[in-house]
Amino acid sequence: MSDETLLRVREVTTTFDTPQGRLTAVDAVSFDLGAHESLGVVGESGSGKTVLSRTIMGLQPRRGVSVTGSVLLNGIEVVGATEEAKRELWGRQVAMVFQDPMTSLNPVVKVGKQIDEVLRVRLGMDRAAARARAIELLEMVGIPAAATRYDAYPHSLSGGMRQRVVIAIALAGSPQLLLADEPTTGLDVTIQAQILNLLDEVQGRLGMSMILVTHDLGVVATRTSRLVVMYAGRVVETGTTRDVFARHRMPYTRALLESSPKVSNPSHTRLAAIPGRPPNLLDLPAGCAFAPRCAYATDRCRNERPVLEPAGEPGHLFACFNPLSEPVGSPT
Amino acid sequence: MARYLARRLITLVGIVIIISIGAFYLIHLLPGDPATVILGTGDSPQNRARLYAQLGLNRPIIEQYFVWMKNVLHGNLGTSFISQVPVWTTIRAALPIDLEMIVLSQILSFAVAIPLAMSSAKRPDSWFDRFLGAFSFTMLSIPAFILVVVLVLVVAIKLAIPHTGVSSYVPLTQDWVTNLESMALPSVVLAIGSVTVYYRVLRSDLIATLQQEYITLARSKGISQRRILWRHALRPSSVALLGTAGVNIGGLLAGGFIVQYLLDIPGLGYTLVNSIGLSDYLVVQGIVLVVSVGVIVINFVFDFFITLVDPRIARE
Repeated sequence: MSDETLLRVREVTTTFDTPQGRLTAVDAVSFDLGAHESLGVVGESGSGKTVLSRTIMGLQPRRGVSVTGSVLLNGIEVVGATEEAKRELWGRQVAMVFQDPMTSLNPVVKVGKQIDEVLRVRLGMDRAAARARAIELLEMVGIPAAATRYDAYPHSLSGGMRQRVVIAIALAGSPQLLLADEPTTGLDVTIQAQILNLLDEVQGRLGMSMILVTHDLGVVATRTSRLVVMYAGRVVETGTTRDVFARHRMPYTRALLESSPKVSNPSHTRLAAIPGRPPNLLDLPAGCAFAPRCAYATDRCRNERPVLEPAGEPGHLFACFNPLSEPVGSPT
Repeated sequence: MARYLARRLITLVGIVIIISIGAFYLIHLLPGDPATVILGTGDSPQNRARLYAQLGLNRPIIEQYFVWMKNVLHGNLGTSFISQVPVWTTIRAALPIDLEMIVLSQILSFAVAIPLAMSSAKRPDSWFDRFLGAFSFTMLSIPAFILVVVLVLVVAIKLAIPHTGVSSYVPLTQDWVTNLESMALPSVVLAIGSVTVYYRVLRSDLIATLQQEYITLARSKGISQRRILWRHALRPSSVALLGTAGVNIGGLLAGGFIVQYLLDIPGLGYTLVNSIGLSDYLVVQGIVLVVSVGVIVINFVFDFFITLVDPRIARE
């Protein structure tokens, strides 16, 4: 582990006990994240992205969930850590921007107070200093009339404004790692770009590392340096963003790319959808989980699980028996 | 917010008018000539004239209502023909006792119910939660008059703690320490009924609140669980609790009479039961009116508390 590695994730597996049986939401995921680096985690709904980000933070519910493997954040093990130990990390070392700003802010607490809380409880600021800093943070995330908005309740703010507040809360403790879990899902398209650009900007300005979780490859293309592509809880391809876009080997990655709209396409181009549905995590196929939906699947794919293997470029790995020949797709 | 409260206030005035009509009509529901029934043994020409002036009995019924209402608004509920004491004087002596009982029992109820509900909601279905659930259900099913008897037996007789038994009521103005001692038992009885209800209502709302995404966000700030419960979960979970408390307290105002009657505490309920026994209908009418208006006002106050707790409710 080099000095520059902030986060080291090794063989992390998260399972849920459900009435229907044990469900593996994250299956033996490993990756590293360097200081100041930004990583995109992409996949369809149900691919385990959100559970992975919560597992990295150690924020999963207490009951019915078990995590194995190792998550080292700044050399501190998160897996199996006590709630008290994790509390020390939360807010100060790692913070999260949640998916839906309509539900992630407390409806009965003024937004200023929700930012304030981190400053006062975690940083020990006094009331006046915390208020001043909270207003500063509101300004930093682009909220106009920040001093007035301090006393606003979430319901009087728009979705985009609320997500800016959520970001301000996450930034309040000056964390080294920011986990953004589908931060634009609930927002208008025009607002989405603003929020993503804001995240991008503060990440660079504050020198944080960031994990950007999304189902939209278009979102991560220009904003992250590396990508992890997930399917059914497993990493199926990883590499630099450039390599994954230009030289992806896994058919699922290509399917994801093709289902993302491109400005270069002529108008009214029909979007390619991935046929079939994401697999039932309670009843995964024996072999490659993507095989039932894959045009290249063979009997081997259906019976044997592919493991990650090097693709040639440094750090580029994929899990496929019938990889696409390179280069495919068009570089962005 | 102001507009919301103004709207509620208009409704409130409407309900009070309807109640006043009901209380007014109470007298006319009595069998026979109201004057004869009300006057009872005090039936003399002078008393009859006084009663006619008070209730306007010789006029058309609509006019009677306005005569009576005008008197009520001037604080004149008439004078009892049984005790020769103005009705308002009787009520003014009894009402503070009810208020004290309610305030004491409610402070006790909230102080017990909130921490218990939090402990349960933190770990639903834990042995602690299951035990409390079963226990509260048991307590809920025990009527107040049984509780009073058991508590008197144990506290006043077995443990022989002074000023806790029957007929030990001491007015607050006389000696507040002894007064508190004498109010302890009835307050506890009323509190036990309230605690079980508040505990159950708050517990289920807290469990729902704790699953909200904003609680996860609060956790992700690295703040303590105690802080999450008190600062983030309690307020959004309190709407049903406050609504229930409003209804419950109104019920105590009217329904505390069993406890008062059994322990000889001269509150409104006690006075009401006695007045019915004495056929002192003007006092009955006065108490019905005061209690009804009290119930409405308490509910209005709790509606106001709800808007303070959840600003979304008064949104226009």
